[in-house]
Amino acid sequence: MDSQLSFTGFAWKNLWRRRLRTLLTLVGITMGIGAFVALVGFSRAFEHEWMRMYTSSGIDIAVVQRNLLSSSIDESLATKISAVPDVAQVAPMIFNLMDLTPEVNALVYGWRANSYELDSLTLLSGHRFHDGAPEILLGDLLASNLGKKAGDMLSIQGTSFTVAGIYHGSTALEAGAVIMPLDQMQIIAGMEGKVTAFHVKLRPAPAGESYDEYVKGASAAIEAALPGTRAYPAAERAANNQIVALAHSVAWGTSAIALLIGILGIANTMAMSVFERTREIGILRALGWKGRHVILLILTEATALGFAGGLLGIAVGWGALRLLSTLPQTASIVSASVSPLHLFESLIIAIASGLLAGAYPAWRGARLSPVEALRYE
Amino acid sequence: MSSPISAGSLILEARGLTKSYDEGRVEALRGVDVKIDAGEYVAISGPSGSGKSTLLHLLGGLDTATQGQVFFKGSQLGKTVDLDSYRSHQVGFIFQAFYLLPTLRAVENVQVAMLAVNQRANHRAGRAAALLEEMGLQARMHHFPNQLSAGERQRVAIARALANDPTILLADEPTGNLDSVNSAHIMDLLRGIREQRGMTLIIVTHENDIAHNAPRHIRIRDGKIES
Repeated sequence: MDSQLSFTGFAWKNLWRRRLRTLLTLVGITMGIGAFVALVGFSRAFEHEWMRMYTSSGIDIAVVQRNLLSSSIDESLATKISAVPDVAQVAPMIFNLMDLTPEVNALVYGWRANSYELDSLTLLSGHRFHDGAPEILLGDLLASNLGKKAGDMLSIQGTSFTVAGIYHGSTALEAGAVIMPLDQMQIIAGMEGKVTAFHVKLRPAPAGESYDEYVKGASAAIEAALPGTRAYPAAERAANNQIVALAHSVAWGTSAIALLIGILGIANTMAMSVFERTREIGILRALGWKGRHVILLILTEATALGFAGGLLGIAVGWGALRLLSTLPQTASIVSASVSPLHLFESLIIAIASGLLAGAYPAWRGARLSPVEALRYE
Repeated sequence: MSSPISAGSLILEARGLTKSYDEGRVEALRGVDVKIDAGEYVAISGPSGSGKSTLLHLLGGLDTATQGQVFFKGSQLGKTVDLDSYRSHQVGFIFQAFYLLPTLRAVENVQVAMLAVNQRANHRAGRAAALLEEMGLQARMHHFPNQLSAGERQRVAIARALANDPTILLADEPTGNLDSVNSAHIMDLLRGIREQRGMTLIIVTHENDIAHNAPRHIRIRDGKIES
């Protein structure tokens, strides 16, 4: 029987001897990384979906109120934006996240019936809504979750709406959304005469001018025409609209707490392990192990915990995202897709967590005097 | 650090070794001077608390003296000779309590000493197996320490002490936990290893038989060498 002992094999045996503690530590770091993968993955996918929606709708610029978390602008300003030379079309809109039933919530958009944004949607059944009428369009995913079809009724915020049609949206934010006439949305949101934003479509960029430069110039022109507003290029707006910004903050905040708990778990495990193995560390030092060998051993164990917890956390986080993307309550805003970069980043964070958590116990272990450690009972 | 050592040349020298504990309130060694030649077999004996194990620890680079110096082949330990390297390459320790790692099999316990000296994995495993075979443990090398008798454990510890081919073997009460049969066996083994390999053997013991049978016997009392 071949029994080659490697450094990593030795580290593994040390972890394996306290299986339950190792397992509990793994659960801690798995939860931390799982939360990071799921929450940050969700918020990034959410941002990505916004960007896709802007792109598919042909939106170049979003005009919102400057310096306010919850934007509210006079609808009448649309004419001023239209007067800016590069502007082709202006779509005033309101969006909000609303409870449709106790179990299902969804993004609700208020658009004008003639909004160019409706052109990017494929009507599967029924017809478009009419301004001034209590009618709505449902995304196919939401309609399926609610069990609604064209002609059915749906109550939103105490008002009954007729489902005028069902459309297919290319993004989860569209497929899981409700679209209603802007005037109806203004009534139920208490925003008569106001809108959240103007979605601006520009004329084609002049030859020789880059798209980014063109959009930047048009944004500046709009801001000059409408003091007190901010005109964001679509990509920028996708990253910092109120809902995405909130999702990012919650995701990072919650993940940071979960990760901190995971790191403390590893640190506690490694500190306990060094404490319990004081005499063994003394034996290793007596055998000629240098302090750096002890550091390497303890960091290998801590990193292995981080790595294994990272892999498990990725599996758990990804699984959670997939589950959320199928639940009626969250399907409209959660995409199951996670970028490989995010997974790689999660694994690096897990490994770094292990290294960070193992640093102090490793340093302490390396500083033990061999003879003192051998005397330790 | 490792130049050839010829038998009879000075290998270890302690000059004025003092070791105190508890902020100087307890003095384990008081100005000990000792010279040991390469290939010598030296027994150090004395009553409990006399400082014999402390002297062994200082000679083996496990601890540092409060005052005085230890020289290995003329180079001062901890100054021109790195203590970790000294312990891994020049010294093999054997302890009364064996100090085997409980999670490792016998053959792995021997290899663990070699992990610090960057030898290839297959070389480590091969050397560990050969040493255990030399100790008569070929049938026990895949057993864990708790599956071995006390005598077998001490033989594994001896194999581990020899793993990096040291020039000095330091044994701290190596038979203290053994019955008379196993004690005799272990002492025969250690003497045989010294003769075969030309190693320096320093044994700390409180057993008169072992001390008197050694060619050189150092008696220590109250931290000072008596004879």
